[in-house]
Amino acid sequence: MSDKAILFDTSRCSACRGCQVACKCWNDLPSTLEKNGNPPTGSYQSPMDLNGDTRILISFNEEAGGSKGVKWAFGRRSCQHCTDAACATICPAGAITKHEATGLVTVDDSKCIGCQYCSTACPFDVPRYQEGLRTTVNKCTGCVDRIEQGLEPACVTTCQPDALVFGDRDEMIALAHERADFLKARGYEDAVVYGEDEMGGLHVIQVLKYGVAAHGQVENPQANPVVGLTQIMKPVTGAVTGLTVAGLAAMFVLGIGYKRDKLAYNPETEDTISVDTGQVVKHGDGQDEETVMEHITENLPGKKGGN
Amino acid sequence: MTNHYCDMQNADVIMTIGSNNVENHPVSSKWVQKALDRGATWIVVDPRYTRSAEMADIYCPIRSGTDIAFYGGLFNYIIEHDLWQHEYVLNYTNASYLLDEQYSFDVNEGIFSGFNEETATYDNHSWHYQVESTKTWDTSEGGAYAWAAAPGVPEFTPPTVEVPKRDMTLQDPMCVFQQMKKHYSRYDLDTVSSVCGMDKDLLEKVYATYASTGAPDKSGTILYALGQTQHTYGAQNCRSMGILQLLLGNVGVAGGGVNALRGEPNVQGATDMGMLVANQPGYLNWPTEYGTPSLRKWCEKETYSDGYYTNKPKFVVSALKEWFGDAATVDNDYGYDWWPKVPKSPDYSIIGSFELMSQGVIKGYFNWGMNPCHSAPNASNVRKAMANLDWLVVADWVETESACFWKAPDMNPADIDTTVYFLPAALIYEKPGIILNSGRWLQWRYQAVEPWDEAKPDYEICDVLWTAIVDLYKKEGGVAPEPIVNTKWDYYVDGKIDPRPVAWALNGYVYDGTECDTTSAAPKTELLSSFANLKADGSTACGMWIYTGFWANNDAPLDPAEQAVGSRVADDPTGLGLHPKWSFAWPLNRRIIYNRASADMQGKPWNPDRVLVEWTGEKWVQNDVGDFVAVSNGTPVPPNDKAFMMLWEQNARLESYGMGDGPLPEHYEPFESPSDNQMNGRQNSPCVRFAEFESVKRGDRSEFPIAVTTYSVTEHWQTGGQTRTCPALNEAMPQQFVEMSLELAEEKGIKNGEKVRVRNNRGEVEVMALVTPRFKPFTVNGETVHQVGMTHHFGWAGEYATGDIVNDLPPNVGDPNCWVPEYKAFLVDIEKI
Repeated sequence: MSDKAILFDTSRCSACRGCQVACKCWNDLPSTLEKNGNPPTGSYQSPMDLNGDTRILISFNEEAGGSKGVKWAFGRRSCQHCTDAACATICPAGAITKHEATGLVTVDDSKCIGCQYCSTACPFDVPRYQEGLRTTVNKCTGCVDRIEQGLEPACVTTCQPDALVFGDRDEMIALAHERADFLKARGYEDAVVYGEDEMGGLHVIQVLKYGVAAHGQVENPQANPVVGLTQIMKPVTGAVTGLTVAGLAAMFVLGIGYKRDKLAYNPETEDTISVDTGQVVKHGDGQDEETVMEHITENLPGKKGGN
Repeated sequence: MTNHYCDMQNADVIMTIGSNNVENHPVSSKWVQKALDRGATWIVVDPRYTRSAEMADIYCPIRSGTDIAFYGGLFNYIIEHDLWQHEYVLNYTNASYLLDEQYSFDVNEGIFSGFNEETATYDNHSWHYQVESTKTWDTSEGGAYAWAAAPGVPEFTPPTVEVPKRDMTLQDPMCVFQQMKKHYSRYDLDTVSSVCGMDKDLLEKVYATYASTGAPDKSGTILYALGQTQHTYGAQNCRSMGILQLLLGNVGVAGGGVNALRGEPNVQGATDMGMLVANQPGYLNWPTEYGTPSLRKWCEKETYSDGYYTNKPKFVVSALKEWFGDAATVDNDYGYDWWPKVPKSPDYSIIGSFELMSQGVIKGYFNWGMNPCHSAPNASNVRKAMANLDWLVVADWVETESACFWKAPDMNPADIDTTVYFLPAALIYEKPGIILNSGRWLQWRYQAVEPWDEAKPDYEICDVLWTAIVDLYKKEGGVAPEPIVNTKWDYYVDGKIDPRPVAWALNGYVYDGTECDTTSAAPKTELLSSFANLKADGSTACGMWIYTGFWANNDAPLDPAEQAVGSRVADDPTGLGLHPKWSFAWPLNRRIIYNRASADMQGKPWNPDRVLVEWTGEKWVQNDVGDFVAVSNGTPVPPNDKAFMMLWEQNARLESYGMGDGPLPEHYEPFESPSDNQMNGRQNSPCVRFAEFESVKRGDRSEFPIAVTTYSVTEHWQTGGQTRTCPALNEAMPQQFVEMSLELAEEKGIKNGEKVRVRNNRGEVEVMALVTPRFKPFTVNGETVHQVGMTHHFGWAGEYATGDIVNDLPPNVGDPNCWVPEYKAFLVDIEKI
């Protein structure tokens, strides 16, 4: 099997969000059962961000302008399935791996130790964590379970207007260029193909009608430099598997969106380090009142400071 | 639809107007985009920038309720610029017909000739044609209408054919074309843009783009929905689309047509089935007390003098035979007297019925498959009316607002004595049956899962009720038992109620050769393949003449897969998306109706790449099933001008005497409007229905200055009974909103995402404000008019997502032709909470 890709053509997307719902159905991901438990968003978009139970969403971005007076740009927020998948590289437990046959980046959550390295490493801020008896990563798997049975990913199957197409990656790229050229000829001069080279080549190829930023995509995405630290940490985590490792080798995130302050924990010195500045923000000798575990968990999703 | 979903790909220009097809009919976007890929242009005309507008090439904002001004301007543009399809209009429409000399339109009064102010109705005498000559039917043996005098056929005097006077030069001032030209000359670009609140240059661009499809080889399609129909002149909006498509030669061609995107999966089926106050199944008119009190009168009034509807007696007698079976004989007029007759008064349409409940006239109510406490206009008035009932039966698959109307926030249960029965009904996936899509396709659906708990399919519920009622009548008698005990109700397979014999009944069959009460081992059927085989002598039975042929395989009468309705062969021999072996399209598997008009007077297709039918010089090639008489008595019929055989003229009507509120569409303002009528001297349609009801509580723009329209979103369906029970859909669209412009929000001090109160005399609701550049204020007659839009899917019932009833706000007034309420344009005020 050659590399596969999902083509997302924003110019064909009607933002019906069948993909969003189909993903939840196929993957048995819950939505709140609390009466009126979904917060108002002031937008057609809901929820506003990915979360532990939401692997894909359609974003709505509107601005005045264009030949019709408004540009209403629909975007796909989900895993882009990088060739150079920083999440897979950094995952200490082998829970996130490249699916050799397709190039998709898949997940075995039974192996996940909840360390959240992947969240920090991802240039697209995609992996989220589902809380339960264990806290495990939850992100788009590319539906490799379906693909192996000859089906298309659930989001693609449900898409009525053919905004999502699944096939060989090179064919999807060719199709994307054909569409971008078509759109340019129809007056959408900012139309562009996204995903051909980013992160070594993505396995979600996008045709962005109004350009990269308008559809909420990342210009020139880069893996978080912390991925380099795996040189230090992987041997440690490799030696001791299981949940106990979570506290000993962890990486936390603070803040929201793409601009998070990244913290890393060095198990050898027990220091907590700011990835961006390199400074030790907490020494491992227990100089403050909180335990290391508390520092780790306070930044997990749903906890104080988490997202 | 005249055409169908797959046909949209053939259009050169697509105009979405009064519809948000991408959101509310998602599958349409697939086919529209195929057209765009081939170079088509897509125009969206809508009060707000929708998800459809985003995908289209041209977006043209329009103030709600001004569509006829928009179309009138387009007619004027087409005529002034000589862009109409000459050969088509001259030969296939009534453009050349001369109107009665008394026909006129008074601009100052805003009325056509024949208006009676007292009754607010028209006498349409002066809208008819001048008569050249008359002909009578030849009912003698061997004559064309010999069947009408055959034994067993009810006695009636055949209609006289009135041959209209025509002027093929189109110069006579009384000809339809000249009258149209005169009528719409007032609809110039400046006036129309001022009425509609449009930019004049953009309006002209839209007109030029759409009018380009008047070239004989081009086709343009119109996609519309409730944005056209739900007005006090909704039927005239639809007429306007028909006129437009006729002027441009777009009816009957691939990629053309007037295409209603139907609101629910089976709303086409519901319409066909006669779920309307004036129609019975198959679009035959219900008997009326005042016009058709006897079968003779019905045949004389309803039977057309010429064209295909000369056969109506065959359809009605076959229908009666299905209703009353053995009890229906020629001696008792096939049971016609047992049919209920629509009275002149009171009015039993949806709006009128609730008024009658308020008055205590209607005391019991079966509420089946609808949720009027939520969906009806002025819904709080509906709830109050229902509180006046002795009993209410609701059949649905969840507890809807109507099933628990006494729990509404504005009701006090202690004050209500209505006994409410709830019958749990199976959902669509829990029963087998037939569903019709907008393109008239009948498709068989198999049952996916068993019904939940005690829920039953509707036909089982009916069977239980019906047999109990009949038993009571048989045991105890009653005031009028005959219609009940004589009704034919025998749709059983091996003793169990079953939809398959119902399918036979709809399809039609030879009466003596078929037993609906059947066994699976030995079914006996003589099903008919065409309604041409129906007889007026009681020898055939047919509940739904337009469906004949959909279930006609007598070799396997109980196997839906062996019937046309179950066929799933996707072949497309012409490449036009006709897919003739995929399901069955009524009538007679015709995919594009009026398809004779796809070829010229010599039978040569206007566009050689889009051949539906073609005359070879010896016979007709029919890529689609021809909608005309192609063969008569075994001999091919050469081309003629009879392209619209469902009308007695067999030419389409640009002007129509058949409408209740005017022979040509004329612009009036909505019942509640933010502006004065600029087109004529009358503010509203002179024939608006129900305006006299006290419950309407008409609002004025001095108090309620903001125009509003209501609409659906793709994530929820109607009153939300199904979709608000799906957590993933609630997550995607958690609540109702009112969309408003940045300008209005600033004026009112409202911020995006805030809760606001929307109110008028009929009610008030709290919803989220969505402040967006997708709504812009309109400039109407030099003044700024604000319009907002609201979704309407939420109510107090349900466990997961609830909200106020937005349909408390629209007025309960209706269109004079079909009583449809005006949900799409009325007045409110908005305040920050």
